[in-house]
Amino acid sequence: MSRRPTVAEQLARQGVSRRAFLKFCAAAASLMALPPSMAPAIAEALGKLRRPSVIWLSFQECTGCTESLTRSHTPTVESLIFDMISLDYHHTLQAAAGTAAEQAREDAMKEAGYLVLVDGSIPTRDGGIYSTIAGVTNLQMLKDALANAAAVVSIGTCAAYGGIPKADPNPTGAKSVQALMDEGLVPRKPVINVPGCPPIPTVITGVLAHYLTFGEIPELDSLGRPTMFYGDSIHDRCYRRPFYDQGMFAKTFDDEGARKGWCLFELGCKGPTTHNACATTKWNNGTSFPIESGHGCIGCSEPDFWDAGSFYTALSAPADPLTLATSATVAGAAIGVGMSFVNRAKKGAAKSGHETATLKDLEK
Amino acid sequence: MSASLDKGVAVLKEMIDAPIASYFESCVHCGLCAEACLFYTETGDPKYTPIHKLEPLRRIYEQEYTLLGRLAKLVGLSKPVTDDELEAWKELVYNSCTLCARCSLVCPVGNDIVYMVRKFREGMAVSGHAPDGLIGAVTRTIEIGSPMGVKLPAVQAQMKHVQDETGIEIPMDKEGAEYMVMLSSMEIMNFPEYLGAIAKIMKQAGKTWTLCSTAFEATNAGIQIGVSDLAKVIVNRIVEGAERLKVKTVISPECGHAYTALRWDGANLIGRPYTFKVLHILEVLDEFRSQGLLKTEGFETTRMTFHDPCQLGRRGGVVEQPRNLMNMVTKDFVEMDDPGKYNWCCGGGGGVSANEEAEELRLEVFKIKKRQLENVGAKTMVTACANCRIVLEEGLEHYQMDIPVVGLTELIAEHLAPDK
Repeated sequence: MSRRPTVAEQLARQGVSRRAFLKFCAAAASLMALPPSMAPAIAEALGKLRRPSVIWLSFQECTGCTESLTRSHTPTVESLIFDMISLDYHHTLQAAAGTAAEQAREDAMKEAGYLVLVDGSIPTRDGGIYSTIAGVTNLQMLKDALANAAAVVSIGTCAAYGGIPKADPNPTGAKSVQALMDEGLVPRKPVINVPGCPPIPTVITGVLAHYLTFGEIPELDSLGRPTMFYGDSIHDRCYRRPFYDQGMFAKTFDDEGARKGWCLFELGCKGPTTHNACATTKWNNGTSFPIESGHGCIGCSEPDFWDAGSFYTALSAPADPLTLATSATVAGAAIGVGMSFVNRAKKGAAKSGHETATLKDLEK
Repeated sequence: MSASLDKGVAVLKEMIDAPIASYFESCVHCGLCAEACLFYTETGDPKYTPIHKLEPLRRIYEQEYTLLGRLAKLVGLSKPVTDDELEAWKELVYNSCTLCARCSLVCPVGNDIVYMVRKFREGMAVSGHAPDGLIGAVTRTIEIGSPMGVKLPAVQAQMKHVQDETGIEIPMDKEGAEYMVMLSSMEIMNFPEYLGAIAKIMKQAGKTWTLCSTAFEATNAGIQIGVSDLAKVIVNRIVEGAERLKVKTVISPECGHAYTALRWDGANLIGRPYTFKVLHILEVLDEFRSQGLLKTEGFETTRMTFHDPCQLGRRGGVVEQPRNLMNMVTKDFVEMDDPGKYNWCCGGGGGVSANEEAEELRLEVFKIKKRQLENVGAKTMVTACANCRIVLEEGLEHYQMDIPVVGLTELIAEHLAPDK
């Protein structure tokens, strides 16, 4: 391969029309909450781009993130994004196997400036022997891959925060990419965390499109997540929020409240403490998201979500005292109203019984 | 002679309204009102803490209008208010409160404590626990027409005296005049200069004015003793007089509580709006000043200070006007500490000066005024309330301080530019 084709050339070769490409750019712009006027800019940037080399490393993971990506709902978006990058190594998706596959990775790493995508956490205990690929530990492979990388995207909660492999008691000493950098175990590069178990496919592609268009890391929150997708909590954007505000909660999964679609807070919904785009972007071709299917958010895009107590325990204020408080309030209000009537009567009687005071009334 | 505890308690039940309930409920017992009260700061005795002066009223509120209070009364935990107790509270409610409202001003939760003292006096008076001095004053006002027993002939004699001295005719019962000028008995008996000053100022300003033969007395002892029914009778005289003469504005004299009674309480007492405006004489003078109708010449060169009457400054909001007027005629005007709405009372307002039982305490708490005066080194004291004036004079005499006290209206009149 003497010269990498540009994205436009690549798309033309695959029979994708210019129109379809522009539609993708418009979708990408809206996804990233950019003004519509940015779509042509995206098209221009992406069109001229020599497809950047991307190495996808899968470590201690369940392949759910890749599954999520490949079941993506807007085919143009996801397929196009993959047409725009040169996915030189992805051991689940690539056709090559064995030595040829590893050769592809090593070749891709020769030219600096590639993007590393990681899914899965990295075991560190006992020299990292708990997960190896072609006899190389995940830790060593990440170390080598990062040496000449421009940036790394941690796809999924495992890569971003350690996820389920890191859950107590963490037998493999699993760590996130960021944690390894912080401890100096791998070279430090810019990191974008795209957590979720799995992450929303359009969020994965949206982050990549942003990086490719602007050539820089998007604005991140304190946990390294792009604020354009992780800026709001599920709770803030939840369509059941009005029920929460009115104190209307489902108490069990089959009671009337549940059937009427009331708030799942008391059934353990972690929406208030979870930041992700599920409530707006939704899943499965925009069909729904967990709360819409009747189950509370489990908080999968937050660090240590697996160890944060039961998915079915309310975040705070268990149901019983709430009932008690309500009845106490009602009783208090009733007594108050009763008292006010009695007091009114008493004051009224005092008033109507008023005898105009005269000078005679001043002395005994 | 029909005052009784039952009558007093019945009146207090009637007096306890939503503001009083919310004040008692929101008191946080911080004690800031004590530091604001001259009776506490000058004696150091905690019984003078303003909110404590209302203790029997608070108990009646709790026992009559709260659930816990009723239960406590039922099982004997909360004792009913007795005649002896009210008699003991007489000193706190009448002798050691001038209704100056400094406590209301500083209360961090906004409790209008003086409003409650005023209401508490309603019950105290009809249960026979008002001081004799005040009973005498209100009796004379109702029966004779003035707390000092001044009758119309005395006013007419002063009118003649002022007419001779100034050469200006003093109008009486002139229908359709713009202003109806009120007097306080003290101005009739002790400070006749006031009437002369008004005559000169009105002449210069070219305004029509009149006295009223049926309503010359502005003071209202009914407000001080705390009996609204009597206060209403007194206010009604003025309202009838002013409406008979069809005047536009009634001018409250240099008297603090007369201003409060007429300006703020009066319309509520009679239950309808007035057909005329009520202004304090200082408001009128400052209005003349701003319209260029008040022309003065020359300046006092001795160091002078101004004592804000509580009802005028703190309760009435007339704070800027006296300063404007002072600056017209003085070169060395100095402010005491806490001027304007934070002023310290002379110690004799709210009926205290008419109450012989309170005299010793009144002179004791005058120490605050004495200190304030000494701090600024003023040689003359100016004020705008005849009651403040007499209390200040007595206090200064008691502490052998040679500082004259003058009324601001007279001071202005002395500097009026002669007609061209």
